[in-house]
Amino acid sequence: MHLSNETMNVGFVKKVEALSGSSVRRCFQCGKCSAGCPMSSFMEHPPNRVVRLLQLGQGQRVLAGRSIWYCASCETCTTRCPNKVDLAAIMDALRKLSWDADGPSKESYVQLANRLFIENIRTYGRQYELRLGAIFNMKSGQFLKDLMLGPKLLSKGKLKMFHSKNRNINDIEGIFKRIEEMRKKGEAL
Amino acid sequence: MTSGKKRLSYSYYPGCSLHASGREYDISTRALFKALNVGLKEVPDWFCCGATPAHNVDELLSLSLCAKNLSLAEEVEGDLAVACAACFSRLKTTQHHLREDDTKRKQVEIAIDGPAALGKPVKHILEILAREYGLAKLEENIKKPLLGLKVASYYGCLLTRPPGVPELDDCEDPSIMEDILRALGAEPVKWSHRMECCGANFTLSRPGVVLKLSNAILESARLAGADCIMVACPLCHGNLDIRQKEIKEMYGANSSLIGNIFGSDLQQSGDTERRDLPIFYITQLAALAMGVASESLGFESVIIDPKPLLKDKQLL
Repeated sequence: MHLSNETMNVGFVKKVEALSGSSVRRCFQCGKCSAGCPMSSFMEHPPNRVVRLLQLGQGQRVLAGRSIWYCASCETCTTRCPNKVDLAAIMDALRKLSWDADGPSKESYVQLANRLFIENIRTYGRQYELRLGAIFNMKSGQFLKDLMLGPKLLSKGKLKMFHSKNRNINDIEGIFKRIEEMRKKGEAL
Repeated sequence: MTSGKKRLSYSYYPGCSLHASGREYDISTRALFKALNVGLKEVPDWFCCGATPAHNVDELLSLSLCAKNLSLAEEVEGDLAVACAACFSRLKTTQHHLREDDTKRKQVEIAIDGPAALGKPVKHILEILAREYGLAKLEENIKKPLLGLKVASYYGCLLTRPPGVPELDDCEDPSIMEDILRALGAEPVKWSHRMECCGANFTLSRPGVVLKLSNAILESARLAGADCIMVACPLCHGNLDIRQKEIKEMYGANSSLIGNIFGSDLQQSGDTERRDLPIFYITQLAALAMGVASESLGFESVIIDPKPLLKDKQLL
C-alpha cells in the first residue's frame, strides 16, 4: 500500500477516538474483525485495514472510500475483538465525520437512504415507508427499482398509501433544533 | 415489575415497522399476549427510535430520539416490552450509554429538554416469554404442540450483540429461541447461520447486498433440513420473506451451496432444490401453539405462504 506523508493527519485519530469512545491505537491487527465481517467482500478496505490506515494517520483515505458506508452495524467485530476496540462505534464516528464534512465518499446511495430516513422522522415522527422508497428511487434515478414490489406490498397491507404526522411532532422538531444549536455553540460534537 | 400471583402487564413500544411492513408481528404479539393473559399497553405518541440510519451518522440524535421515547414510556405502567430487534437494540444502547457517560447524558437532557428517564427495564418479548412468563408455564398452556415442525431459529445481529448491552443471552451462542421452540413442542435444527447478518436496511439502498447475505442464510437453513425459519425482527423477516423469490431468480432454482460444499451425497439424493422456506415470527408460532386461530395472526400479509407447511404438519 502506498502511504503518503502529505496526507498524514494524526489529529484525525484523536477525533475518531473522542467521538467513538474507543481506542484506535489498541488494535494489534489480528484480523478477527475482518474474518467475521459479513460485509468485507463489498469493501475496498476490510475493517482491520480501516483501523490500520487510521493508525498511520491516513483518515482521508478511509473517508474517500466506500468501506464505512458498507458496514452493516452488525456489531460482530466489536463482539469478537480480543483487545476491546469498539470497531462498530469507530465506523459510526467515521461516517459522522464524513457526513459533517460532506466528504468525497464513493458511496452515495447509502447516504441518501440515511438522509431520507432521518428527514422522515423530522417530518412525520414515524417512518412513512412508501414515501421513503418512492423518494429514494426518484433521487437516486432508479425509477424502476423494486417497481413490482410496491403494489404487492400495498395489496398485502405491508405498505400504507397515507400516513399521518405524530401529534407531538413539535416536540420532535425541538430535539433536532436544540442539537443544532448545541453544535453551533460548540457544546456538542 | 409484577411478581407472584399478580397479572403480568407491560408497556409496549411497537416501532414503525410493526405498524407497516411488519404488521403481522404486531398483530401476532397482541394475539399471543391476550391468549396468555398478559397485559400490553401501547406507549402514547411514541415515534421512530432512529434505527440504524440515525446512529450511523449522528449518535447524539440517535440517543436523544430514544431517550425521549423512554420518557414517553414512563407514562404507562409496567416494564417496556419491545418486539423489534432494532428498536430493542437502540433503546438498550441508549440506556447503557447514558448510564455510563455523564457528558452524553447532559447533552441528551438539553436536546430532549428534560431529565433522561433510565429507570424502566426494557425487555424483548423473547425474554418476557422465556423468563418472566416462563417456559414451564408456556408448556403447561399449550393447546396444539408444534410436533414435527423443524425450525431454524434466526437471531440476526441486534438481539444479542454487542457484549453488555442487550443482555438478552450469550452474544455468540444464545439458546433462548431454541428453548422457547422446545417448550412449544417444535424441533429446533442446528445450523450455521443463525447469528449472521441478513443485510438489514441495505434493502433500500443496496438490495444486492441483501440478496447475497440472505441467500446464504436461507441456504444454510435448507441444508440443515429446516421446514421454516423463525425470526424476532421485522427487518430480518422482510429480507428473508419479501426478497425470497427474487433471491431464487437471482441464484437459480438449484442450490449452489449444497452442491459446492457438500457435493455428491446431497446432489445424488436430489435434494438440491431451492425450496420455499416460510418465515415465521416467534409470536406467530407461539400463538399457534396456544390455540389462537391462524386467521388472527396476520398470515395474509406474508409473501411465502406458510399454509401448505402448516397443513402438512396438521397445525391448521
